[in-house]
Amino acid sequence: MRDVVVTGRGVVSPVGNEPDAFFDALAAGQSGIVPADDGGAAEAPASGFDPETWQTPRDVRKTDRYGQFAISAGLQAWHEAGLADAGVDPERVGIIFGTGIGGMTTIEATYGEFFEGGPREVSPHFITMMMSNAAAGLLAIQLGVYGPSWSVSSACATGAHAIGDALRMIQFGDADVAVAGSSEATLCGLPDAAFGRMGALSKEGVSRPFDERRDGFVMGEGAGALILEAEEHAVARGAEIIGRVVGFGASSDAFHMAQPDKTGRGAAAAMRNALRSAGAEPTDVAYINAHGTSTPFNDAIESRAIVEVFNGHAPAVSSTKGQIGHLLGAAGAVEAVATITALQRGVLPPTGGLEQPDPECEIDHVLEAREVPGAKLALSNSFGFGGQNASVAFAAK
Amino acid sequence: MADLTEEGVLQRVRDELEAIKVPGAENAELDTTWEELDVDSLDLVELIKALEDEYQIVISDDELKPVETVGDAVKLTLKLAGTTA
Repeated sequence: MRDVVVTGRGVVSPVGNEPDAFFDALAAGQSGIVPADDGGAAEAPASGFDPETWQTPRDVRKTDRYGQFAISAGLQAWHEAGLADAGVDPERVGIIFGTGIGGMTTIEATYGEFFEGGPREVSPHFITMMMSNAAAGLLAIQLGVYGPSWSVSSACATGAHAIGDALRMIQFGDADVAVAGSSEATLCGLPDAAFGRMGALSKEGVSRPFDERRDGFVMGEGAGALILEAEEHAVARGAEIIGRVVGFGASSDAFHMAQPDKTGRGAAAAMRNALRSAGAEPTDVAYINAHGTSTPFNDAIESRAIVEVFNGHAPAVSSTKGQIGHLLGAAGAVEAVATITALQRGVLPPTGGLEQPDPECEIDHVLEAREVPGAKLALSNSFGFGGQNASVAFAAK
Repeated sequence: MADLTEEGVLQRVRDELEAIKVPGAENAELDTTWEELDVDSLDLVELIKALEDEYQIVISDDELKPVETVGDAVKLTLKLAGTTA
């Protein structure tokens, strides 16, 4: 199988809409979470995002916010990889771009118009705005590429599964270049109400993964994208290599639609499968970008799974969600950008909000940005509702 | 209701094309084609709904078929609204 490198990154997030600014903010401990207003929940919006940087006003109007994020992240990565004028064969470029939910703000607004005014009030653009494969289609059109493209959806594990699918696409030779990522824009009434009713959101409006006071997640929005490329292809065109994707592991909890398996079996299996796929030993892993949602269940169970898999070796662990909240389907891709950049720079971002580590989370917490020159391997974990788990193994170049 | 004259309906069409952010909408003339404006069938659904709402008319799919220019839409609107100006 072919070796796969990362040559481009893109991000839309609550702390920056460009990968290096995003990572600088993470390393500096900045938070993108804003307090609740009007009795709603605290949230982490992608403030400062301007869709017209990437699309015409006409296309912006026909694109759900999740699609706008996807186009931005995908094009940032495309440009960073130097692909805009590289003359690559467009039939050899694929796209795997997921979302957990799809065009939620469009769905919510259109339901209102439909119930109030009837079928005539429904926009003819509704379907192509809200469908979960819209982002992949929009990117193919915008980039003018003709390789395989589809969407994946596995709730909060979507981004990691998208990168896993793209890894396979390149490894197996179905494409030489793949735009891999995911996007989510669900900061609107219905998801807010529904996650609140489930008891999943922090009542205090604070995201503090692994802290003993944690009481739920804070919802965020954004998108992440990576350009995955066959190493031979990247080298032949003289591309700058940022890092490598060396393994992917997935598993199912087969336990409960919203709660993780208390034994951590599914989470552990995903990490073990990622290590096996990478041909790596637990001791090779310097860093884990945890799923770390700030919910009581996830963080304790994920910690237990890490302790079990690493069995005495203690890789440094942090969760990006302390600073940007939980980006749901986009989380895995945005956190992949954080993970690959951490390896590139030899700096681990801290877990924002973590002050009093829960004794049930006995792992090596990164409380302040930590320099780790020479760190070689990192995992990025993502676990989704439905019990779908994924872990991606990244390596420094 | 906007003026039920050729110029009035033409202006209404321009306004709606502008509302859906079609480049060049303000310069659309009677002989401008949808193709020139890059208006596709979904955009046309939005434009026709706006005309139906404005002039209290109903435009059927069959009546819409031969409509290829701004002028065709203006003439059809005037005809259905009971004016042949």
